[in-house]
Amino acid sequence: MSGKIIPLSDGVEGLFVKNTRFNTTLVSFNFYVPLAADTAAEYALLPFMLTTCSKKYPDFSALNYKLASLYGAQLEASAEKFGDCQLLRMSVSVINDRFTFENESLIKQASDLIVGLIFEPNTENGAFYTEDLAREKRKAIEHIKGEISEKRIYAKNRLISEMYRGKAYGVPKCGTEDDVLTITGESLYSAWRRMLSSAFVRVQVVGSSVPAGLFEDIGARFETVERRDITDVKKCAVTLPADTPRTVDEHMDITQGKLVMGFSSELAGDDDKTLPMMVMTDIFGGGPYSRLFTNVREKMSLCYYCSASSVRQKGLLTVDSGVEAKNAEKAQNEILNQLEAVKRGEFTDFEYNSSLKSIADSLKTYNDSQISLDLWYALKAANPNLYSPEDIAEKVSHITREEVINAANGIKLHTVYRLLPKEAAE
Amino acid sequence: MIKQTFESEIGESYVKAVLPSGLQIFILEKPQYSSSYAIFGTKYGSIDTAFSVNGEKVCVPEGIAHFLEHKLFESEDGDAFTKYAETGGYANAFTSFDRTCYLFSCSDRFYDNLAILLNFVQSPYFTEQTVKKEQGIIGQEIRMYDDSPSWRVMFNMLLAMYREHPVRIDIAGTEESIAKIDAALLYKCYETFYNPSNMFICIAGNIDTDKALKQIESAIRPCECAELERITANEPDTVCSGYTEQSLEVAIPMFCFGYKETVEKPERTLKEKVCTSLLLEVLAGDASPLYARLVKEGLINDEFDSEYFTGYGYSSVIFSGESSDPKRVAAEISAEVERLKTEGIDKKLFSAVRRRMYGDAVRRFNNVEGIAMQMVDCAMSDCGLFDEIKYIKSVTSDDVYRRLSLLDNEKTVLSVINPKENGK
Repeated sequence: MSGKIIPLSDGVEGLFVKNTRFNTTLVSFNFYVPLAADTAAEYALLPFMLTTCSKKYPDFSALNYKLASLYGAQLEASAEKFGDCQLLRMSVSVINDRFTFENESLIKQASDLIVGLIFEPNTENGAFYTEDLAREKRKAIEHIKGEISEKRIYAKNRLISEMYRGKAYGVPKCGTEDDVLTITGESLYSAWRRMLSSAFVRVQVVGSSVPAGLFEDIGARFETVERRDITDVKKCAVTLPADTPRTVDEHMDITQGKLVMGFSSELAGDDDKTLPMMVMTDIFGGGPYSRLFTNVREKMSLCYYCSASSVRQKGLLTVDSGVEAKNAEKAQNEILNQLEAVKRGEFTDFEYNSSLKSIADSLKTYNDSQISLDLWYALKAANPNLYSPEDIAEKVSHITREEVINAANGIKLHTVYRLLPKEAAE
Repeated sequence: MIKQTFESEIGESYVKAVLPSGLQIFILEKPQYSSSYAIFGTKYGSIDTAFSVNGEKVCVPEGIAHFLEHKLFESEDGDAFTKYAETGGYANAFTSFDRTCYLFSCSDRFYDNLAILLNFVQSPYFTEQTVKKEQGIIGQEIRMYDDSPSWRVMFNMLLAMYREHPVRIDIAGTEESIAKIDAALLYKCYETFYNPSNMFICIAGNIDTDKALKQIESAIRPCECAELERITANEPDTVCSGYTEQSLEVAIPMFCFGYKETVEKPERTLKEKVCTSLLLEVLAGDASPLYARLVKEGLINDEFDSEYFTGYGYSSVIFSGESSDPKRVAAEISAEVERLKTEGIDKKLFSAVRRRMYGDAVRRFNNVEGIAMQMVDCAMSDCGLFDEIKYIKSVTSDDVYRRLSLLDNEKTVLSVINPKENGK
């Protein structure tokens, strides 16, 4: 069910993913900009600022009232890492016209609304308004500071910042608190102009049809923008092995410790190269049949969760686990033992086949979720081929044991991050 | 088997069947979809700590329903996860206050997955050794939640709100309470609550209803119907304490502000639930004047939320979020409740939030998991899957206004998680 790319302007693409099974239609705007320490915070603030108010809806309450009236149109904003880029996303989804009380044209209204929010923000004399800026900066700082509340996410982010210190991928996806504090109405306005002129842009529609005139309207809007220095989404530095693996310990007043391990992988890049990594990661620490689940959790009872995941574009593998401080070393050794076992090909046919079947089965469920489908294609922007989830499921079914073993043998421990409880005596 | 088909104007239809054993089955076909989602559940959760079965009164350790959920995956002939690994299905389970559900989702081999589900949920196998091993894993799960401020802020509020009702206790229990669990107790609970008359199966997706019904009918094992009675706690109308706080590793204070509702009947009707949800949107939803004021004054952020929290024998309205000044947020909410009681409900705002609620209800039919979960609610509360949409269309602002009486400013609890003073 893959769609076709439609060029709308220089570095601006439209993608219609036709899928008639949903009661809703979703339109997403994806802006890809370089991830860098000096711009991350202001870029990350943009999706939130733009989806809170605009020229037409200067007050956020008026905008929220409008969304409720559009039968609860869902307006979403986020800033994510995409390799060495920052992906700024804004989307709207709305129920299809036939479900409305009086056959209203909701989809057209919703798509016009999001275009207006992005292209006609509430600004004056080349700056966002002080009141709007102060509100969004406060929310952004609270969001950044609030990360510490979820220890599992916090620990994983800390590993990434330690592992990629001084590199683009180590920059926090929303910048730092200090960076947010320096943003001014003028600097945010100029970030907005830069986003429009130099981001690589993908506008995606998932649903039964493209809202009337949407792609034409976007094409025309970008004709008035001077497009230059467009982000190369394919540019992404692969993770190089560490000379010596490093361990970073941090202590906090918590009950349970967190152990997060980062590995470099020789296989890095797009799907055509890295699918063996997907299978390897799953056999190692994916489903309940995986080495980490069956050994570290079930046999040794060391933790409630212990799983592996990979960012194939970067050549990064991570393992994260919640463990008692006294068991952290034991768990780390067992995780490394299991990795060595996979490298030696000591996984059963049952584990290998279970993994292939589980990956294929879950990929096929993507077509049943509008949000997953939208994100799937947004995260494939660097791929020269527009593979659908079924395409990847088909390719995964041909990955051999040898390819998995080879992928495992390219994996090297890079950094260990441990979040540990403070000693009782302290 | 009693079988009925229900249709809705949004183009969906489902079958509800009841087997002679009392097992309820809900199936909604989605022929256009690639995947399916199935749940086999029981009306048994963390609040069922005291009950009477065939006249015998039983009290069990806190957290046992959740413990049983973990252990049921192991049968004498092996682990259910291993069997699912052969089909490629994704399996999981969860325990909440009033229910335990075993589920799978798959895009291939649905009937093989259904056979695994039907088999393992009906094949308890507990030994002292396997129980002991699980105490280690669940102990780690409990400790994980001890460090979770969002979990703690909610349970601290429930502890301050309820004196007797077991909703005040953590779903997984405590490390001390789960140490008291043994194989014999697990069998006792299993036999009491995992009886088809107390259970339901809900399926949504690309499947054939008749084929699934036939398979379920032949797989359900005959079972004597036990006479089960839930012993309801004698919960006073007042709260234990109006304020509770704890310090954890957070950067901004977190809060839960709850209103305890006087419970006259053990369960709330669908109409009460719909009206209360609409009331919360009018009162504190993102298009409300209160929300605008709280954001403009820097008192809340996007984490702010409200919910109608209700189950067997308990009911409350909860506002939650992060704030530099939770006490002021609570005071603003209380003041807004009084204002609405005096001035009434803004009809224009009511009309907009009613549309939103209708849109959300239509949207939920996009997703097989969401549909299956809604059918579980139907099984739990004996209502129809399309009743909500029908009711939203006819509800009036007066109906919603009447629900305001449940918000009594004398029966509130504010729970706060403060940052550690020397914390990061």
